[in-house]
Order: sequence, then structure tokens, then C-alpha cells
Amino acid sequence: MTIATPLLSARDVSKALVGPEGRIDILAGIDIEVAVGASIAIVGASGSGKTTLLGLLAGLDLPSSGSIRLDGHALETLDEEARAALRRRLVGFVFQSFHLLPALTALENVMLPLELEGEPAARTRAREALQAVGLGARGGHYPYQLSGGEQQRVALARAFVHRPRLLFADEPTGNLDRRTGAGVAELLFDLNRTHATTLVLVTHDPALAGRCERILELIDGRLVAGTPA
Amino acid sequence: MSTLRLGLRTLRREWRLPELRTLAAALLLAVAALGAVATLAARVEAALLASAAELIGGDAGISDNHALPPTVTAEAQHLALAVNRSSDFPSVAFNGTRSQLLDVRATDPAYPLRGTLQLANRAGRVYAGHGPAAGSVDLDHRALVALGLGVGDRVQIGGRELTIGAEIVREPDGGELFAIAPRALMSLADAEAAGLLGTGSRVQHRLLVAGPPTAVTQFVGWLKAHRPPDAELITPQRTQQRLRIAFDRAGAFLRLSALLSALLAGVAIALSAQRYARRKTDEIALLRALGAPRGQVRALVLVTLLGMALPALLLGALLALGLSSAAWTLARGLLPGTAGGPPLLPAAAAALAGLAVLLGFALPPLARLAEVAPVAVFRRGARQRVRALDALYLLPALVAVGLAWFESGSFRLAGILVASLAAVAMAAALLAALLLALIRRLAPGVHPALRLGLAALARRRALSLIQATALALGLTALLLLAVIAPALLDRWRTELPADTPNWFALNIQDDQRAPVTAALDGLGARKLNMLPLAVGKLASIDGMPIAQVHFHDRATRDWAEQQLRLSWSAALPPANTLVAGHWFAADPAQPQVSVEQGWAQRFGVKPGDTLGFRIGEDTFTARVTSLRKVDWTSFRVNFFLLLDPAHARALPHSWLASWYLPPGDAPALAAFNRSYGNLSLIDVNALLDRVRGIIARVTAAVRWVLGFSLLAGALVLAAALASSAAERRREAALLRTLGASSAQLRAAAATEFALLGLIAGLTAALGAAGAGAWIAASVMDLPGFVPPLPALGLTALAAALGVMLLGLAGTRRVLATSPLTLLRRG
Repeated sequence: MTIATPLLSARDVSKALVGPEGRIDILAGIDIEVAVGASIAIVGASGSGKTTLLGLLAGLDLPSSGSIRLDGHALETLDEEARAALRRRLVGFVFQSFHLLPALTALENVMLPLELEGEPAARTRAREALQAVGLGARGGHYPYQLSGGEQQRVALARAFVHRPRLLFADEPTGNLDRRTGAGVAELLFDLNRTHATTLVLVTHDPALAGRCERILELIDGRLVAGTPA
Repeated sequence: MSTLRLGLRTLRREWRLPELRTLAAALLLAVAALGAVATLAARVEAALLASAAELIGGDAGISDNHALPPTVTAEAQHLALAVNRSSDFPSVAFNGTRSQLLDVRATDPAYPLRGTLQLANRAGRVYAGHGPAAGSVDLDHRALVALGLGVGDRVQIGGRELTIGAEIVREPDGGELFAIAPRALMSLADAEAAGLLGTGSRVQHRLLVAGPPTAVTQFVGWLKAHRPPDAELITPQRTQQRLRIAFDRAGAFLRLSALLSALLAGVAIALSAQRYARRKTDEIALLRALGAPRGQVRALVLVTLLGMALPALLLGALLALGLSSAAWTLARGLLPGTAGGPPLLPAAAAALAGLAVLLGFALPPLARLAEVAPVAVFRRGARQRVRALDALYLLPALVAVGLAWFESGSFRLAGILVASLAAVAMAAALLAALLLALIRRLAPGVHPALRLGLAALARRRALSLIQATALALGLTALLLLAVIAPALLDRWRTELPADTPNWFALNIQDDQRAPVTAALDGLGARKLNMLPLAVGKLASIDGMPIAQVHFHDRATRDWAEQQLRLSWSAALPPANTLVAGHWFAADPAQPQVSVEQGWAQRFGVKPGDTLGFRIGEDTFTARVTSLRKVDWTSFRVNFFLLLDPAHARALPHSWLASWYLPPGDAPALAAFNRSYGNLSLIDVNALLDRVRGIIARVTAAVRWVLGFSLLAGALVLAAALASSAAERRREAALLRTLGASSAQLRAAAATEFALLGLIAGLTAALGAAGAGAWIAASVMDLPGFVPPLPALGLTALAAALGVMLLGLAGTRRVLATSPLTLLRRG
């Protein structure tokens, strides 16, 4: 499937590592195109290369061969500084284990991406983002004072606060019980809709994957199926 | 499986862990620093002692005004020591009608056993010589001038015609301050044959030995037990009090720098151990859940720790020997060589001290691992607190005190150091806590890049506190050395300014004062100072005749029976400070005396007591009205007893003059000497040169050891800074993922480290000033020491900058951390 102006595309991407036992191919021949506003899920068994692919797509690492374009920029031609600047402007992240900074309050954690951009109204906007995830009253609380579900909601607020065009989510419900996980997933897709964000989701959970427009399956580093939802 | 095997297996897995490597490196560095400084210090002290031995002309000896029994020589020979026998006595030399009283040393050819006797031949060529052969005599310049003779001429001494073999340029013992007459060296055989050493003559017999230190020590031990009743021991330690004070100060400083290096390493070890303990928590929880008893967990940690430590200790000791040898080779030109390789004991002791530091500083956090509850496998951080382990936090303090005492041999230095460092640690922790609290309030208002740095400090709250404290301790140690060393060196330099009086004249009569002053002024003499001098004996203490007073030791009795030099002054002389009582009133009704505190202590005298004196035919009693502390290193003429001038003026007395005359102008003094034939002129240039030479050596030694300690300290400091690297990497990965630029990360790191450095620098500057003043006053004997506060302030800022740069340098790897690590961790 070819999209006129994809926000994110990967062309013949491979990633190999040279370990003590020789060369290991982690990813090979990956081709993806993600249109603006689309949502795709990448599923696969443990060790199939999901996280590596996510890292490559987000510009956290560079492919061994092939090309990845984010908003028209070929990532492999940019240095780490330029890729960081691109992430700051375009990308939001949600992690499986939340990665909130323990010594900052919920509000301060949400302010972080805005502060990196030098946004003067960081506090006000962060407060609004917290309200949007239903935690307006908990801004002064520290991560250890919040439950797992609440922490992930703070992480969602942090991910959306600077209105990224693309959101990467790595097992966003993996550390949560089913009910809480469902709540967080609901919020994730709501925010995605509200902000018209493009979503790339890595997950084991078929139900979560099923809420995306497209599902890509990785088996031994190769994209074997692109199942429409 | 035995705990030992499990421990060793753990070690095989873990020895690559950065914190264990840091711990081992800190330990290695501690032992290397401690051992190298101790080895070098031991060698320097040995060399200094050898210097003092040069002053004596041998390693040790005995002196008596009776002929020494043959058993003394026999014992020295039995111990295979080199022996030199000599006898000192006054004798008159004649050249036709001219005569001169000489201070003669009759010696065997072995003289000198240590140091160099510099002689000059007729052509003025200087060479190293030994005691003269029979029939020959060596005279110093003053004697030659006074007698109008030159090398090769003949002179009559003790009724024998002797040939002048050489001019004495410099004797190893440099001449004594109160050696009154010019010097002659003759053969002991000639003196014996001439009957100059017979009974009734005023002879001081001397036997010196030289050889391996153990044999010398054995000989001194034998002498103590077998010496004749009036004989006096001669040891390097007993020579020249002023030099001894310089040695003691240097020794105290060398030990202080070694000690501070070890404590620094202790701080680094504590930081690493804590980091290791944090990492091990999950594993210990698992082991506990699998049924490992608490004792086994503790043993496991201990085995791992010791398995890591033992090679580090051994390597550290070897490195210490290597480094000290390298430093020794480089510094050899500055210090007289001592035979043999480096001593091994200091390095071995350093390894033991290193083990103590390791256990003292690493055990408190590691022992706490036994508190990890089995349930922590499900709930991280679950602990079963063992109250008894709280006491372990006293361990570092105990080790510090013990080490301080062991290294310094002084409870006072140990106490001051530990108290000062504890105060600095508390102040730094308090300041850091205050700053962290402030950050919470201020952070929202500051620039985002700075805010990131402030937030980083706040995020690692506990670690920030520990780091600020550790940095403050490290900087205090370095600053303390930096503060004291210049004062010490400066003190040595100013002790003997270029115009220190180099000539003395004794026996100036009242009516000669004015003409002598005028004549000396005419010669260009500077710093002329005249003091009255009465010679008498102590007759009674508190009314009890000296013969009936019970003295603690023989030396005190000897002293009490010797001639006593008394002087008087209307004002308290320079280099004297009043420590008890009050200075003389203008015209007291009763005679009064001011006593030097050491003398007062020896004779058990206090203000209010009375002392009886016999001076010529007169006897009189004076009341002690004050005690004085005298700076004996001042190279001024000082007196144990000073009388009030109103009463002393009437006593039979002469005057003693001291002045400075540039060495080139000395020949002019010969004419002066002939005009005032009754005066005894004393030239102390040679002695001053020797003292200056030795001070230069001590100074060089201190610089060397100081440089080494500073290096060790800086390295340990860097190791301490690395303790937060892992946390830093995790954070950098997150911020990087969120799009932070490296400039932002660098600005954050700079803010964080600059603040840490500022806290540490400020507390360290204040701590070093306080501890420096305390140590200078009560350990180093540096009265009037004022810590250089502006310089310390600047140093605090420089420290902030240094810590910032060091931190930034350490952050380079952190910045290179791939953000992908965050995804991999889930």
C-alpha cells in the first residue's frame, strides 16, 4: 500500500548486530508507510525485534541499511542532535514502565517536554494536560504517591502535552491489570483522536492491537503480515 | 554449596561492575598513596636523620668529661660499628710571641664518620679530608689570621711543634653557637703523647659510631644501660633543638597528608559500596526468598568484597613501593642518600590500613543488605530493619580516629582532624539539604536549562547529599594541605632571613660598649644588639639549697649544677611571650625573675616561688613573677632566666653582642679583633649555612610529598564523582528520548556540578580555614598562623569550577548513552 504523503516511512530497513557469536540479523527487509493520523500496531513474540523497530522508527537508533523518513527527513542523514530536535518537535512517548522521574511531581514531569522546547507557558499547559487525563487535582503528587494506572495517565499527559504529531507507545498497558489497562488504553485512543495524532503502538495484547487501523506482525525480524483491523 | 565458593563465583561474575571496580581502584589508590607517602616519608625522615647525623659526625655516640672506659669501644667494635674517638679541650697555640687560645679537637683519622670535613690546601683548593696524621694540625681561618700563619707553617701546641697541614673550611658539625675560640684539629696520638688529655685538664671525651641502623640502635640501648654516670648520649634526635622542631613539623605534615589521602579514599569506598549495595538488593531479595539465611547473605557479601580487595591491596602496596622509589630517584639530588632499597614495612602497614579503611567504610552500607526482606522479590524496598546495624555507622568514624592516631601518633591531631572533618561533613550535608529545599521553591522561576540541572540535583536527593558531603570532605583535605604547606614553607624561609646575625662577641665590658658599637657601625654591621650577661650558679629553690633538692633525673641535676647564664631586660624581648604572671614593674622592691616555661617545668618552679643565685661572691634571692614561652627557633640569643634590671644592674656582668656583617666584609673584623683583644668573636656563618641547607632539603621533601597527596586526593575525588554515573545515564536516556539536545544536557550537568562544587567549595574553604588554624596552632607549632581567607574564597570558586569541569568531562559518556536503553529496560 502506498500513501501519498506518509508521515513516517521505512524502506528496506535492516538492523544487524555483531556479537561474540558473529553477525545477528535482528531486522531485515522492513517496509512500512504510516499516513498522517493513522494508527498501526506492531505485534510479535518476545525477541522478534519489535522494540528495535520502534527505536529505529523513532530515530533513537540508526538502521544498518535502508532508509527511514520522518516528516520528510531521512533519519540516517541526521546526526543525533538533529534527530533529538526532530523528536522534541514531533514525537511523544509512552513506555511500559512509565519512566516518570521520581523526584519530580506529576505536574513537573508533564512540564518536562515543554521545558525542553523552552515553552514559557509550560506550567499552564501541563496543568491542562493533567486535567485532560483526569488528574488535575494530583499535580503536586510524586510518582510514588500514585497508583500504576495513575502514573501511566501522567505519562500520557506528558506524551501529549506538547501536541506531537506522532506518538510511539511501547506496551503502554503491559504493567497494568486488565481493568486499569483498559482505562489507560481508552484514554490513549481518545487523546489520539482529539489531537489527531499518528500512533505507532508495540504490544502483545491482541485486544489493544485490534483497536488500531493496521496490524503489522514481526516474525524473526521480518514483517510477515499486514492485517487490516 | 559453600558460601566461599558462591562468593568467589559471584566475584567472577561481578568484578566488571563499575562500582566494584571503583571500589577496588579507590582501595588501590588509598594503599598506594598511603604506602608511597609513608615509604617516602620514612626515607625522607631517615635522610633527615642522616643529615642530623652529619651534624654530629656520626650516627650516635657518647660524651664524657672523664676518659671513656674501653668497654664502650669494645662494644661498638663487637657490633661491627665504625668508631671515631676524639677529645675536645682548650689549648693555647704559639707562633713566636703571638699566641691564641684554640678550641682543639684531637681525633683519630676516622673523623668524620658522617658528613664531610672540608679542608683547603695552601693554594686554597678545597677538598674532603679526615682527622690529621700525627705531627700535623689543621687550623681554621680565624686561628691562622690570629697567629699570622698559613698552611705549611709550623705552630706550637701543648709544647709540640706541629706542621699546619690544611685550613679548616667547614666541619661536619659546623661549630657550636658558643664555641668561643678558633678551631684546631690535631691527631689524638699527638695529644695523648703531649699529655694534653691528662687528669685535671678540661677535656670532653667523645666516641662516635656509624653503621647499620639496627646495630646503632642496639649500641644506643647498650649505652643507656652501661654508660658511665656523668656521660651524655649523643643521638641525631638530640642535636640542635631548632632543627628538631623543623623535623617534627615536617614529619607531622608528611603524616597528615598521608592520612588525609586515606580518608579521602575511604569516602570514595563508602560511595562505591553504597552503589553496590543498591545494585545487589534485588539479588539478595531473591536469595533470601530462596531460603538463604541472613548470616549466609552477610558472609557472601564479605567474601565477594575481600576477594575483590585482596589483589587491590597487594597491587596498591607494590605500586606504593614503585612510586616512592620513582619519587626517591627524582628527589635524590635534594637529599643525602641512605643505603639500601625502600623500607617494606610502611607499604605493608599501608595495606593493612587499607583493609581497615575498606571494612570501616564499606561495611555499613553492605551489612544493611542482610536487612533486605524475602518479600522484596514482590515488593521492592521491603526491609526488615535490624536496629543493631545502626551502630555500624560509627565504624567509619572509629576507623578514621584509629587511622589518624596510627598515622600521626598523636591523639590531638587525630581528634582535631576527625572533629573538623565531621563538622565539615555535617555543614556540607546541611547546606546541601537547604539548597535542595530552596530548589523546590525557586526552580519553577529559573531558566529551563538551569532548571533541568536543579531538578537533577533534587531528583537524586540522597545521592546529592552524599556527593556534596564527599566532595566537601575531599576538598577540605586538599585545601587543608594547601593552606598549611605554604605557611610551613614560609615559616622556614623567614626563620632565617638573609640578615640573621652571623657574628657574636662575648666579654664586652661596660666601658667598651660605646666604642665597640661605633667600631662595628663603621664596619657596616647591621642589626647590632647588645645584651648584659652575668654568669653564676643556681643556689637554692624556694630556700632549699640545690644540694638537698631532689631531682627526677640526672640530667636535671647536672643542669642545676652547671653554670647559669643570666640576663636582664626592661621589656619583654622579641620571640618571648608571657604565659603566666606579669612582666616586671618599673622599680620592684624585691629582686624578680622571669623563667622560661620549659625550665620552670623541669625544676618544678611556678610564679611566687623563689630562686637563689650565686654570682661571683654575691648571693641573692629573686621571686618568680612570670613564666615565658621562648621561640628557640628564632636564632636570637635567648635566656632561660631574665632578671629585673633594677636589681640585676649591680651584678658583675659583661655584654654579649650580635650583628650581621655580609660574609665578604669579615676580614675587616680581624683588625677589630686585634683592637679589642679581650673579646671572643664567634662566627656562626658556617652553622647558618648548614641550617639553611637542611631547611632547603626539608622544604623540597615537603613539596614532593604534598604534590603526591594532592594527586592522590584529586584522583579519589574523581572516583567519588563517578558514583552517580549510572543514574545519570538513565536520566540522560529519558531526556534524550524526549528530545533534549546535548547542549541542554550539558547545561543541566554544568548547573548541577557547579552547585555541588560551590557547596563543597564553600564548606571546604571554611573547614580548611578552621582546621588549618587549629592544627597550625596546636600540632604544627606555627603560632600566628592566619588562614588566607581571600585565597580560600577564590579556591572555593575554583573548586566549583573544577568540579563542574570534572563533572562535565565525566558526562561525556553519559551524553553518548543511546536513548534506546530506555526501551530495552521496558
